[in-house]
Amino acid sequence: MEASRRNVQSAGQRVGMKKTEKTDKKRSKPDEEEEEDQLFDLNNKAVEEDEDDKDLSDSEDSVYSGLEDSGSDSEDDDDDEVVEEEEEEEEEEKDGSNANEDEEEHSEQSTVKKSKKKEGAVVEKEMKKDDEYDHDTSDEEDIRNTVGNIPMEWYKDFPHVGYDLDGKKIFKPIRNKDELDDFLEKMENPDYWKTVHDKKTASDIVLSDEQIELVKRLQRGQFGDVNFNEYEPTVEFFSKDVMIHPVTNRPADKRSFIPSLIEKEKVSKLVHAIKMGWIKPRRVEDDSRGRFYDLWASESSSSLAKHKMHLPAPKIPLPGHEESYNPPPEYMFTDEERALWEQQDPSDRRLPFVPRKYPGLRQVPAFSRFIHERFERCLDLYLCPRQRKMRVNVNPEDLIPKLPKPKDLQPFPTTQSLVYRGHSGLVRSISVSPSGQWLVSGSDDGSVRLWEVCSSRCMKTVQVGGAVKSVAWNPNPSLCLVAVAVDSVVLILSPALADKQVVSSSERVLTAKEEEEGPSEGSQPVVWSETEGEELNQGIRLKIQHPKPVHQVTWHSKGDYLASVMPEHSSHLQVFIHQLSRRRSQNPFRRNKGLVQAVAFHPIRPYFFVATQRSVRIYNLVKQEMTKKLQANSKWISSIAVHSGGDHVICGSYDCKLSWFDLDLSTKPYKMLRHHKKAVRSVAYHRGYPLFASASDDGSVIVCHGTVYNDLLQNPLIVPVKVLRGHAITHDLGVLDVTFHPTQPWVFSSGADATIRLFT
Amino acid sequence: MSQLQARFFTEDQRYVVDDVPFSVPAASEVQDLGNVINKLLEAKHASHSRVEFDFLVRGQFLRTPLATHMETEGISTEDVVEIEYVQRITAPEPEECMMHDDWISSVEADSEWILTGSYDKTARIWSLEGKAVMTVAGHSDVVKDVAWVKRDGLTSLLLTASLDQTVLLWEWNSERNKLKARHCCRGHTGSVDAISTDPTGSKFCSGSWDKMLKIWSAVPTEEADEVEEPADRPRKKQKTQQLGLTRTPLMTLSGHNEAVSSVLWCDSEEVCSASWDHTIRVWDVEAGIVKTTLTGSKVFNCISYSPLCRRLASGSTDRHIRLWDPRTKDGALVLLSLTSHTGWVTAVKWAPSHEHQLVSGSLDNLVKLWDTRSCKAPLYDLAAHEDKVFCVDWTESGLMLSGGADNKLYTYRYSAAQTDAGA
Repeated sequence: MEASRRNVQSAGQRVGMKKTEKTDKKRSKPDEEEEEDQLFDLNNKAVEEDEDDKDLSDSEDSVYSGLEDSGSDSEDDDDDEVVEEEEEEEEEEKDGSNANEDEEEHSEQSTVKKSKKKEGAVVEKEMKKDDEYDHDTSDEEDIRNTVGNIPMEWYKDFPHVGYDLDGKKIFKPIRNKDELDDFLEKMENPDYWKTVHDKKTASDIVLSDEQIELVKRLQRGQFGDVNFNEYEPTVEFFSKDVMIHPVTNRPADKRSFIPSLIEKEKVSKLVHAIKMGWIKPRRVEDDSRGRFYDLWASESSSSLAKHKMHLPAPKIPLPGHEESYNPPPEYMFTDEERALWEQQDPSDRRLPFVPRKYPGLRQVPAFSRFIHERFERCLDLYLCPRQRKMRVNVNPEDLIPKLPKPKDLQPFPTTQSLVYRGHSGLVRSISVSPSGQWLVSGSDDGSVRLWEVCSSRCMKTVQVGGAVKSVAWNPNPSLCLVAVAVDSVVLILSPALADKQVVSSSERVLTAKEEEEGPSEGSQPVVWSETEGEELNQGIRLKIQHPKPVHQVTWHSKGDYLASVMPEHSSHLQVFIHQLSRRRSQNPFRRNKGLVQAVAFHPIRPYFFVATQRSVRIYNLVKQEMTKKLQANSKWISSIAVHSGGDHVICGSYDCKLSWFDLDLSTKPYKMLRHHKKAVRSVAYHRGYPLFASASDDGSVIVCHGTVYNDLLQNPLIVPVKVLRGHAITHDLGVLDVTFHPTQPWVFSSGADATIRLFT
Repeated sequence: MSQLQARFFTEDQRYVVDDVPFSVPAASEVQDLGNVINKLLEAKHASHSRVEFDFLVRGQFLRTPLATHMETEGISTEDVVEIEYVQRITAPEPEECMMHDDWISSVEADSEWILTGSYDKTARIWSLEGKAVMTVAGHSDVVKDVAWVKRDGLTSLLLTASLDQTVLLWEWNSERNKLKARHCCRGHTGSVDAISTDPTGSKFCSGSWDKMLKIWSAVPTEEADEVEEPADRPRKKQKTQQLGLTRTPLMTLSGHNEAVSSVLWCDSEEVCSASWDHTIRVWDVEAGIVKTTLTGSKVFNCISYSPLCRRLASGSTDRHIRLWDPRTKDGALVLLSLTSHTGWVTAVKWAPSHEHQLVSGSLDNLVKLWDTRSCKAPLYDLAAHEDKVFCVDWTESGLMLSGGADNKLYTYRYSAAQTDAGA
């Protein structure tokens, strides 16, 4: 609205310019100011045009120009208001009717303006006439003076100020007022302050009280009409509620129902063009060349691959509560934590700093380690690993080989059943009769005892007069003989704990070859002799005198051959093989290949196992040559046992290891078992069940299950199934010997605590 | 659930109460229930004196509070519980302690005399009062088993089996206290570990370490059987002087793969044998064949048969006593396991007059009295022995005997009232 007014005004100005060909300074003022000025026109002009008035007052006749500007709108009245207001009553009356008409056509804001003008008119009218509303109109040209909208100073030098409608001069009043008069009037006239000077008519007008009141109201920005309520409630014609009647009652156009033919034509043309390929719908802009280019197009694939393996630099962890200048109390270090922090190596510390509390952020000092940390960060970035570490997520549980449950591997000995008590010294060696009814034990107390297995009854005690190093029951079930190694003698004992037939047949074996004894003697290092008297009554039948202390005796499975071991570093006489039926002894080895620890016969083939400190040599007794050498991977072999099938050998060693060999497979141990805490003293194989046991100085016997499958592709199953404890450790010695029952899954163990125990 | 509906009944006519359901506290134990029954009986008979009772719920002895027992047995607490009560078996009272010179390997008692075999190579005859009557010496090795065969008035026939591979048949006159070795039964090639006579006393069976069972005639005769002697006869003659006339087996039953540990003549023509080869075999003596094989998983040490309940009880090295039905064909069906021993069960014996009770001896020095209706825990532990127990026996007169490696033979008097009630 303001803008339109401005246009109109400028149009009016142009009109004025045409008419007067001179621009008033006032016209060029911004409209806002102008608006305000207009309000004060009544006052200002009186003062302002005093000079003019002097000049004007010279001419008495005031002339009205009856000419109206045909091009001027009603809006022009705004500008000419002041002039118009001084027009005569007749014209004003006419104007008033026009103004009323105009008011209705104008919008709200202009109405306000008009009302102001109207007030102005009212003032004038009340001064002159009572019925001003008859003709007063602000729209009308001020026709009391017809000079129009010109600077009135042009009439400064004339006695008149213009022309009236009749073309007569409007004369200025005879002015004799000088400064003094003015002052005097100011002093004397009480109405001076409300007297305004009308330039157009060059007359003084005294404003009435109502006019002054109106001026004051307008100055305050209020409506001229006291009764006008500017805050009347508006009548909302549009609300959120859906009304039954439309806002406008105009029916919808027909065209809104009918498809547009023109549009249809246009569309069909487009479709045709697309079909013919003249235009391409939605052409994609091709940025492939020109605007963008592939920066890495020339790079080789390897360098690209490198980018794929890009490793982001290690990130700095985000600061936590500890880093706060005001950490929660639980993050503060206690005294112990602080002490620990101070003790720890910087690399071990959980935090690289001590959380501290400050009363405010302003109190926080500069971070003293800043340079240091930056440096470390740079180091991190620089030393960031350039290679991706392929981490395989493997559950450690999965790496453990699947072992069958011991339950599935039964039977094996689990509990201690019987304790054979009677010895007074440590029991070095035990052996079970082939029937499984009897057990023989040799002890350091110089006795050999024979026990009934099922009742732990000691049936017989044979005093042999020396610490018994080794006992061995003849594995031949048709013989009942026990070989006992005492000092440097091997005794052949006939315990007579068997069928009479067996006893007699073993007697026969012992006595049969007396005739051949003669020639076999001579320079033999081994001397056979028969016993007499007390020893004979005890059952000791033969003595085989060795040159050195015998540590081990072992029988061949046929029961005729007997091997004895005399470990010595410097001698080649370490092993003797004795033939019982012919009472002959021979030393199978000419050279010393190391300290012999134990020997064993192969149960089926004519092989002979000799265990030295580090290795086991296998000799073919028939061909008299070494066939194999097993490396035990241990420092000091203590014992050896051969499986009844002859394919597997176990070796116990003083360095707590048990090596399991498969003779067909390799000369290296197939499996090393390190279950014992201390030296392994003895190992044993079960004759029937897939069991082997090892006895150790830690007082335990470990029973292992060892199945070898016929299918060569399947790995042998070697599982420790039971740790048997019971023996007390005496003088740092635990279990000294272990042997299996020939038929039952029972294991016997003899210990340094002078007992023998049966585990079933 | 604080109360349970229970109906009490008994087969003992002396203690019958009215057949009315009672509401008893669920938490009540044997003692509480006993009070209830005694109160009822007192109300019925003014002369009733307090009797201790044991209670059975569905054939199982009540050992825990009633609610707990029913929960473990899975018995509904909604219905009326049928509770049987029997007079409580009083603890067997130790009577005599008979000292031996050596370990006692075997014991068998009849109504008058006790026969024990010992590791000192002798057998001994004792009176029931614990007086040593006779020492049966003749074996050259440990006596492993003994058995009474028959008694005709004052003359008794008895058997001793020994490690020296023979069984000796003795005739003993109790009045004159004269003992005579009638026959020496030769044939075994291993120690004879078990003997058993048939119910008529005309035959006996022996089992040996040599895996054989042999059937012998137990009738003493005046002539020796022919034995083919080995070639070196003079030497053998020298070694052992003959005691009595040599007797050869009527029949040899072979089939076991391991030593026979126990034999039992359980019916007129039926022999049962337990062996270390983990089997119990039932033999038909007429045909000499195996009728049934019961296979276990461990070595059997002993068996006992009760004609009352027709069950075999076996003791084995895995500490369990197992009950078998010998009539099942090739069944390895264990009816029940009685587990409480901690060592090998070396001896087991059914009560001769009670179908539910048996006694067992073990290497854990304990003799236990069992009731098959309470398989978790024995009725009584008889902890008299200080060493391994090797043999137990139970006489018709209610005397229990046990001997072991502490050289002592204990007898326990077992409440006689029980025998009436149980049978």
